[in-house]
Amino acid sequence: MPEWPREIREEVRQHLDDQYRELRAAGASHDDAMRAMAADVAALSRDPMLVNTRGLAADFRYAFRTLRKSLGFSSIVIATLALGIGANTAIFSVVNSVMLRPLPYDRAGRLVVVWGNLHKPGLEEIPGSAAEFVDYRDRNRVFDAIAAYDTGGVTVTGLERPERISAAITTASLFPILATSPSLGRAFTAADEQPGRDRVAIVSHAFWQRRLGGAASVIGRAITIDLQPFEIVGVMPNGFAFPDDDTELWRPLAFTADDVSENQRGSHSYTIIGHLKDGATVEQAQAEMRTLGMQMGAEHRGVYRTGFSAAVRPLHEELVGASGPALLTLMTAVIVVLLIACANVANLLLARGAARQREMAIRAALGASRLRVLRQLLVESVLLAAAGGALGLALAATGIRALVALAPTTIPRVNEIAIDARVIVLTTIVSLVTGVVFGLAPALHASTPDLNDTLKEGARGAGEGRARGRMRRVLVAAEVALSLVLLVAAGLLINSFARVQVVDPGFRADHLLTARLALPASKYASIDRAQRFFDDLSGRLRQQPGIQGVAAINAVPFSGRGGDRSFFIEGRALAPGEPSPDEQVRFVTAGYFSAMNIPVRGREFTERDVSSSVHVAVVNDALARKYWPAGDAIGKRVQFQQDAVKRYEIVGIAGNIRHRALDAAARPELYVPVFQPLFDGFAMPAMDLVIRTAQEPQTAAIVLRQTVAALDPDQPVADVRTMEERIGLSLAVRRFNMLLLGLFASVALVLAGIGMSGLVAYAVAQRTHEIGVRLALGAQPREVVALLVRDGMMPALAGAAAGLAIAMAATRVMSGLLFGVGATDAATFATVAALLAAVALVACWLPARRATRVDPLLALRAE
Amino acid sequence: MLDRELKKGSAELLILSLVEDQPRHGYDLSKLIEARSGGVLSFRVASLYPLLYRLEKRGWIQGRWVEKPGQRRRRYYRLTPAGATVLASQRSTWRAFVDAINRIAGVEHA
Repeated sequence: MPEWPREIREEVRQHLDDQYRELRAAGASHDDAMRAMAADVAALSRDPMLVNTRGLAADFRYAFRTLRKSLGFSSIVIATLALGIGANTAIFSVVNSVMLRPLPYDRAGRLVVVWGNLHKPGLEEIPGSAAEFVDYRDRNRVFDAIAAYDTGGVTVTGLERPERISAAITTASLFPILATSPSLGRAFTAADEQPGRDRVAIVSHAFWQRRLGGAASVIGRAITIDLQPFEIVGVMPNGFAFPDDDTELWRPLAFTADDVSENQRGSHSYTIIGHLKDGATVEQAQAEMRTLGMQMGAEHRGVYRTGFSAAVRPLHEELVGASGPALLTLMTAVIVVLLIACANVANLLLARGAARQREMAIRAALGASRLRVLRQLLVESVLLAAAGGALGLALAATGIRALVALAPTTIPRVNEIAIDARVIVLTTIVSLVTGVVFGLAPALHASTPDLNDTLKEGARGAGEGRARGRMRRVLVAAEVALSLVLLVAAGLLINSFARVQVVDPGFRADHLLTARLALPASKYASIDRAQRFFDDLSGRLRQQPGIQGVAAINAVPFSGRGGDRSFFIEGRALAPGEPSPDEQVRFVTAGYFSAMNIPVRGREFTERDVSSSVHVAVVNDALARKYWPAGDAIGKRVQFQQDAVKRYEIVGIAGNIRHRALDAAARPELYVPVFQPLFDGFAMPAMDLVIRTAQEPQTAAIVLRQTVAALDPDQPVADVRTMEERIGLSLAVRRFNMLLLGLFASVALVLAGIGMSGLVAYAVAQRTHEIGVRLALGAQPREVVALLVRDGMMPALAGAAAGLAIAMAATRVMSGLLFGVGATDAATFATVAALLAAVALVACWLPARRATRVDPLLALRAE
Repeated sequence: MLDRELKKGSAELLILSLVEDQPRHGYDLSKLIEARSGGVLSFRVASLYPLLYRLEKRGWIQGRWVEKPGQRRRRYYRLTPAGATVLASQRSTWRAFVDAINRIAGVEHA
């Protein structure tokens, strides 16, 4: 049967609309007008050619035209959705890249890290020793390959200036395990693992470009690493980054007979990763390694504490596991923002639906079934959502660039963050689902089957449909509730950040410059030579104007460095099987505590604390309290080898300091003068210089470099940072989370504000007649505004109450991200509630003011 | 009542005549027919638009959507050259028909 062209149907609709308006303008009541038109409408709905059988494509064309006609409405909806969808896309890209996407070198997720495990907090991930690696390699049945590596800085000289770079030393098995081979030259072979034949190196693409000229002829070239000659045998492909993002050089790990001996079995310095055999599961590996670890514990009782076993953890989890809670919090936040955006849009559509009731009634009169009208409305909202999604994707692309630029480098895989196919698919799904979700409720309302009722209700103009009005208020209340939850979460993070920032680190962080100085063992074989170098350096630096103190420590606070050692307390025998005390041990030079402004009871180390004098130690408060709770630590002696004669007398008790982060509690620490070596053959550790300055600390950096270069032109100075910079970096992740959550909460607040405003504005428009009557009857404009504001505030207050309840329950999950405030901190909740109430009041008052401009006469005549 | 007129073909003549001087939209046409006939003739919506559709298909009139600032877009119909020819021929046919009726029935011109 031929169908009327779409355009004619539009004309018919317009015709009926014109007719209705004209009848009403001439003074007919709605019912009269409908009666007058009834014959026409009846004839139309019987015409088979008019029965709407349009296809979906026509629906889309029609929807597109309708939306273009109301550009203002469409723009607001699309912008709102773009904000919601864009935020989701951006954060999901991060979650996807960091957490969901497999590691580029472990697509199948077959790599696990093998750790020693003593089943105690802090002792669950103990690195492996060479001997353990050999045991794991030879005795396991779950891995088809296993590798060990260690990381550390190396000094490269012989190029135009010396440089300290991040490097790794690894078994040859590592690169095949990572399914990566050099893009130039060769990988390591078993031959490279022979002591004495291990002077070969593979460099990163970046280092090759930056320092070696980027030519293929680099293979076979000599390079000086820690003053030893090496041969470059390979260049890794661009983008390869393992184990760290900044690793630039790899050397083969050649275990000597001593390395794998019983003596060194306890030297736990290697990370061990295994590649699961086909068919082997993580659980099987876990079970087997636990057994293997327990066997080793039983076989080498002198080495392991009781309870030792081994465990595995998937490499992916190991790398990104720690970012999980923060990312999930952010993901939740953006989903909430999207929900608020949806609620807002649904509200706009409901208001619009009210204005379009006549159009819907006429369409229904033209024979369109309820389903057809519903479909048309849904097509419109899906179209809006699709446009919002497209704009959101563009917004996300920009947002991700900003995010990556802002993101702290401590977020793993940050260089991999990008929009990929999965993100685009998800955005598409989210957009479509969003379109249906926010479109459905208004569409159901607008397509109400009872044509007559709809027409009557809509045309009366005195009040909106009861159900529709209720739904609008519920939506606004939901928006307010959700944004309150977000605001509370953001408030808690801001509050935490403020508290972390004012934590006293235990030393004076301002006017303090730090720099890494690693004296190569080959050149400074004896501690005495190293001591001379440090004495010279500190002497020269102290003479510089503006430098008030110079000292060094092997692990300066906020460097991420540090390590523990076991020690023995004189006169305290260990019960059989009882572990010796094991705490953070630091090696420092004279004047360290005064340079750092750490208070010391007793005395600090001086230039006279050298190897030939009485050996001394300083402990911090936490350590003193732990081992000498009676407060008599000073004068006690400790030693680092059970049967050694060297004992260190405690001469001072230093204040506790925050070492790792401001929000990490101070740990027990034991300080030893670095020039009173623990044992014969103790190598000079790499040291962090601390320089107390009178002026801006960064200005001392130039003097420092010049002074070091004058003493040893081959000696690089690395990691030059002020202490404030270091503390700032330690707060970077927290700041990042706070900024993002704050941003999303602000967006939520603005959207909720728009929602509340919209509700009141709509009420003003709908109730013009009523307002006119009230004003005509002598009501003060002030009273009318108060009435409207009160009506607008009701759903806001209900939403706020619900939001407070939800927040009470929901913020508990983020307690791990908080510092110094409880997840239900009353002050934060009260502040946020007050802020929201203020915003709600303004959002309601602004449109309500318009009511005072209603001219009573005009308002009455309009009806 | 006009339905019967339509069957006689008079409706075609009415439409073509009304769009002869200037393009008009459907609602305008129905109002004009009703006004100028003094309410004697009126179109049903369900009849007018199918008619317009048929006339356009035959190429006698042409509809075009016109969007004026501040107004909804409307479809304006204008007479095509082919339509003008048909109008001229229908006019003369009707004139002849009406004259014939007059001569027989003695009805005066309105």
